[in-house]
Amino acid sequence: MWRRYGDAFYTLLTLAVFGFETIALGGLSLSFLLGGATGIASTPVEGILLGVVISTASALALLGLYLLSYHFVSNLRDRWQIEQLDKWTEWWVGLALTGPGEPVDAGSGRRRLPRVAVDSVLSLLEAVKGEEGDRLKEALAGHGVDHWFLRRARAGHLTARLDAIEGLGKARLPQAFDPLLGLLHHAKPVVRRMSARAAAVTLAVLPPEPGPDSPQARFIQAIKHADLQPGVVQEALLLLETRAGPILRELLADPQLSDSLHWVALETVGRLGLADMADQVAASSDHPDPELRAASFRCLRRLGSVPETAEATLLHAVGDEVDFVRVQAAHAAAFVPAEAALPALEPRLEDASWWVRRAAAASLARLGELGVATVKRAAESHPDKAAREMAVQILLEADELTPAAARLATGVA
Amino acid sequence: MLPTPRLTDARILVVDDERVNVVLLERILEQDGYRNVKSVTDPSEAVALYDQFEPDLVLLDLHMPKLDGFAVMKLLEDRISRDTFLPILILTADIRPEIKRRALSAGAKDFVTKPFDRTEVLLRIQNLLETRFLHLRVRHDAVPEGQAT
Repeated sequence: MWRRYGDAFYTLLTLAVFGFETIALGGLSLSFLLGGATGIASTPVEGILLGVVISTASALALLGLYLLSYHFVSNLRDRWQIEQLDKWTEWWVGLALTGPGEPVDAGSGRRRLPRVAVDSVLSLLEAVKGEEGDRLKEALAGHGVDHWFLRRARAGHLTARLDAIEGLGKARLPQAFDPLLGLLHHAKPVVRRMSARAAAVTLAVLPPEPGPDSPQARFIQAIKHADLQPGVVQEALLLLETRAGPILRELLADPQLSDSLHWVALETVGRLGLADMADQVAASSDHPDPELRAASFRCLRRLGSVPETAEATLLHAVGDEVDFVRVQAAHAAAFVPAEAALPALEPRLEDASWWVRRAAAASLARLGELGVATVKRAAESHPDKAAREMAVQILLEADELTPAAARLATGVA
Repeated sequence: MLPTPRLTDARILVVDDERVNVVLLERILEQDGYRNVKSVTDPSEAVALYDQFEPDLVLLDLHMPKLDGFAVMKLLEDRISRDTFLPILILTADIRPEIKRRALSAGAKDFVTKPFDRTEVLLRIQNLLETRFLHLRVRHDAVPEGQAT
C-alpha cells in the first residue's frame, strides 16, 4: 500500500508471508484442539496458550485479508480514477478546441464539478493558453470553481489553503490576481510563497496594460512591500515568462529599490538571458555594496555581453578589494576586447585568491589567440608558481596542452 | 521528381508523460487534418515507436520522469543519420536560456513554451514539416536516376 511501484510483487510477498504464518498457526491450533480432545491441552496454561495461538492466527488472517482487499479495491479505484480523468480530459479538450455551441455531454450548467474534473482542467490550463485557455477559464468560472478556490485560499485549514492557491496558480484566472496579491501579506511564509508563484504565473498570461494601476504595477508594488525571501521573489520573477523583462526593467530603474530586490533583479536578468538589459545591469557595476557589484558582473557574464560604457569600470573591478567581486569581474572580462582586457587580467594570475586566478586564466584563454598566448607564456615561465600551475590547468582543460607537457611545465614527475 | 507530400500526411510522434498534453496535442493535430499521429506517455517506449513509425516530426516534452527529453534525444541521435533532417520540436515550460541551448545542441530544432498557443504550435509544426519535406526532396533529387529508393 504506501508505494507507487512494485505493487504486484508486494502483494504476492504479503500473501506468501501471511499465508505461511496463518497455515502454520492454524496447524498448531488444530493440533492443540485435537490434543485437547485427546487430553494433551488439559491444563489451564495449555488452554491460555491455545487461545493465544488461535487469536494470533485469526489476527494474521484478518490482516492478510485486509491487505489483499486493500490492493484489490485501490487498484479498481485507480483504474476508475484514470478512466474518469481521461473522460474529463477528452471533454475539456473538446470544449477548448471546439468552443461554445458545440454539444457537450456532461458538466454544463452551474453544478459543482467533481474533483477529478477540476484536476483535469487545471492540468490542461498548464498546457494551453490563448482562446482555448480562455474558454476553459470561462467554463471554470461558470461552475463557480474560481469562487470556491478563492474562498478556500482565504480561510480554512492550511493544507486546503495551499491546495486552493496552487489551483489558482494553475488556472491563471484574472479575477484571482488581486486576491493573490493580497495573500502576499499573509502571516505564514508558505502562503506568501505560494501566492507569489500563483500571482506571477497569472500575470504572465494577463494582457499588458499601461499605467500606474496596471496589473504589472500592482505586482511590482506588492513584491516591493511584501516580506518575501529573495529566493521566492526570484522564483516569481522567473515564472513571469515574457512579462519578466518589463518588470525587471522597472525594478532596476527604481533608485529606491532595496538592496535585496536589486540583487534578485540582477540575478534574474542573468538567468533569463535578457541581453537587451546589459546597460541597466552595468549601471550597478560600481555600486557601493560589493554583493551588488558582484551580481552585476555575474549577470553580464551570463548575458555574454559587456556594454562599452561599462568596460572601464569592469576592468577596474578586476582589481577590486573584495575577492568575490574580483572573481565575477574577471569572468565577465572575457567579453571585453582582448587588447583592453589583457592588461587587467594578466596580473590577476598571481592573485592571492585561487578563484580569482582561475577566473583570470579562464577568461584569458577565451580572449582568442592573444589571450591563449598569454596563458601559454604564463604556464612556461611565470615567476609565480601558483600562476604557472593555474595557467597549466586552464590550458589542459581547453585542450591547449597535453598531459605530458603539463607534467613537464609544473615539474610533476 | 519526388511528388510533394501533403503536410497532413506527415507522421508525427508525440512524447509527453502528461496524458492531458498528449490528448490535447492529438486533438489539435487531428482538427488541423493531420492523420498520422502516434503518441507515448512512457518515454522509454519512444525509441521503439520511433523505429516502428519512422516519424517526420517528433514533439518531445523535456521534463519527464525516468527518461527526460535530453535522454530521449540522445537515444534518437544514433538512429538519425547525419544527412537526414528530422525535426524535434520541444515542448517545455522551462524558458531558461541554458535549457534551450542544451536542447538545441542535443538535436532540438524548435521550441514551444507551455502553456502554448494552438496557432503557434500548428505554425511551428507546419514550418518544420515543410523544411523536412524540402530536405527529403533535395536528397531525392540529388540521387542519380535509377538509384533513388
